[in-house]
Amino acid sequence: MRIYEELFIIKPDATEEEIDQIVEQITGVVTVAGGTIDKTEKWGKRRLAYRVDKHREGYYVLLQFTCGPETVKELERRLRVTDSVIKFLTVRIDETLKRLDKRKKHREKRAHRKATAAPAPAQPSVAAQMLGTPEEAK
Amino acid sequence: MAESRGRPGSASQRPTGGDKAVLTQKKQYFRRKKVCRFCVEKIDDINYKDVKMLNAFVAERGKIVPRRISGVCGPCQRRLSDAIKKARNIALLPFAAVI
Repeated sequence: MRIYEELFIIKPDATEEEIDQIVEQITGVVTVAGGTIDKTEKWGKRRLAYRVDKHREGYYVLLQFTCGPETVKELERRLRVTDSVIKFLTVRIDETLKRLDKRKKHREKRAHRKATAAPAPAQPSVAAQMLGTPEEAK
Repeated sequence: MAESRGRPGSASQRPTGGDKAVLTQKKQYFRRKKVCRFCVEKIDDINYKDVKMLNAFVAERGKIVPRRISGVCGPCQRRLSDAIKKARNIALLPFAAVI
């Protein structure tokens, strides 16, 4: 099982019901294959950076789900067939998430070490000042 | 060394970021050392959905800004260019912007 992210654009003239229907259809494909939907986000209508199929705007929907690689193949085929979907992008994110988690842990560990190590070097410097002052007095 | 003496202009066009101050024979000028924004601000995740952030690393024409100009470090630039290319694919960023 892998974690994927699917971002797709629906034609701006599609109704709310149509959008819900497409999202439901995709959710169905994933769940039937034994996967799970982790997140559904509707970004709403956004201006496209360039014209796609003569559209200047599009309705963005973001899905995050866990499933196998074959399911993604089927899902992409479905999206390609659906007329009101003008663009889609599938990104596998489980490895990125793993890397980010590792980095985060590493950062926390370092911060912790720094916090515990910081008072230690401060003490010798104070001691050095204490030692330094009598010499200057002479 | 001989090259930089021969073409002083080339040195100014290509900041390496390695030295704090660049000294040439005629003029003495200081260049602030460039730092990678992602490393300094501790941004691990360079995400393709963050259009606002990506826009800062895209030139007016929609081209990716080279790291010798933006100062982004090697690993971060690789992730950044990946993210920009993904964003272009899903029409969040332009392939070529018309001015």
